[in-house]
Amino acid sequence: MKKGLLFLTLAQAGLLLWGGPLVSPARAQEPVTFQPPRDSEIPSGPFGDLVRKGELIFTQTGKYAGKYVGNDLTCESCHLDRGRKPYAAPLWAAYVSYPRFRSKNNKVTRLGERIQGCFRFSMNGTPPSLDSETIRSLVAYSFWMSRGAPVGKKLAGQGMYHMPPPARKPDPFRGKKVYAARCALCHGADGLGTTSDHDVVFPPVWGPRSYNMGAGLAKISKLAGFVKMNMPLSKGDTLSDQESWDVAAYVDSQPRPADPRKIH
Amino acid sequence: MTIVRRSVSTLFLSLFFLPAMTVHAEDFLKQGKKIAEEGNGSPGSVACMECHRLNGGGMPSIGSPRIAGQTAAYIEHEILGVQKGTRYAPVMAGVVNNLSKKDIRSVALYYASVRTPKLPDVSPPDQALVGLGKHIAQKGLWKKNVPACVLCHGPNGRGVPPHFPYIEGQNKGYLLRQLVSFAFLKRKDDPQGLMRGIARRLSQRERKAVAEYFASLTPPAAAGRGN
Repeated sequence: MKKGLLFLTLAQAGLLLWGGPLVSPARAQEPVTFQPPRDSEIPSGPFGDLVRKGELIFTQTGKYAGKYVGNDLTCESCHLDRGRKPYAAPLWAAYVSYPRFRSKNNKVTRLGERIQGCFRFSMNGTPPSLDSETIRSLVAYSFWMSRGAPVGKKLAGQGMYHMPPPARKPDPFRGKKVYAARCALCHGADGLGTTSDHDVVFPPVWGPRSYNMGAGLAKISKLAGFVKMNMPLSKGDTLSDQESWDVAAYVDSQPRPADPRKIH
Repeated sequence: MTIVRRSVSTLFLSLFFLPAMTVHAEDFLKQGKKIAEEGNGSPGSVACMECHRLNGGGMPSIGSPRIAGQTAAYIEHEILGVQKGTRYAPVMAGVVNNLSKKDIRSVALYYASVRTPKLPDVSPPDQALVGLGKHIAQKGLWKKNVPACVLCHGPNGRGVPPHFPYIEGQNKGYLLRQLVSFAFLKRKDDPQGLMRGIARRLSQRERKAVAEYFASLTPPAAAGRGN
């Protein structure tokens, strides 16, 4: 009996090594790896100026687009590495994914409109108009970063990581322990973030200065995927799936500004 | 009526205790300064100022760090780490072995309270490396999963109390040696091994570049204040 099993396993291993036609259909759908251009490739002239302005707004949103921001977050708080990091909703993949249908608005949404949503929900602020310098700069920055990315193909690391369903129901009480051990060091035990001489260094993850209930990360599955791949900084993919689900459930169970669509 | 009486008695009590508490803190500082100046009096004890100077400017020539204005919580944590052996520091281990918990608290409070200008480093900033160092410090080296240093150490590395020390304007010998210690030696007092992972993933040239960059800056008078 045992020998039979061993044989079967060897046979399977052989099949896997051989690969053959079984593997190729899967390979055809394999996501494409894309490298965004380097900073030195930003051209000079008005286009380059707009791209650079976009990067400043992106990394120091409160300073360069303060009137649209209602909390302590910047674009880079979620879109790490200046919008370049895979699985942190990178801009190079975002640009080639729009326009797209979104059930949140029940319409085909353009990238500029999508960015307006970031300001309204994640930044808990007032969306800039589509022809404002803020949106034009951010769209230009995204456009530049996506140069060379294939349209209509799945790119490795696009959007946020989609978590497999949790083995156990996400539990905020277990999540609280994960938070204390792995997150509180930077975001504070009270979740309100950390400052240095009044500058926000670690963004608040709940409370009045964090994202509102309408933001993508207010969904436990989205936050779990973000945490899994990115947190703690430089230690992405060290929390287990269950820990990521639980800590997301804990963070999203905490108070935060209301969804502006539900206030009136 | 009762409330008035209570507040009067509270006032009376605080008048009585407040000076006592102040004296207590002053005692700590005085004791700390004494240890910094001459050691704690136990046989063979060495004064902190031998390497860190009385005002905490450190000694760039031997890579002894500037500690003036670093938070007391951080200094205390590091001395305890050297005692326990979680922080690799072959020279300092012999010096702090005989310090009591109270000695450590005192000397940490003392060095957190002192201020000193930047001391000249062993060489001018290496211009061939400062640019690379600045890029890693301000933007990160994410392809190696290294976030920008300033994301945790604060703008320009001015520190985020209590866990993240200021590194802005620290001397280059110290900075490089710590990165190497985190990477290969036995410095393992960093929370969650964050620095060990980061330092290991950098090349020696990159570690050197980061040290050159932060050493080229002007240090803050004290670590940035927290919330």
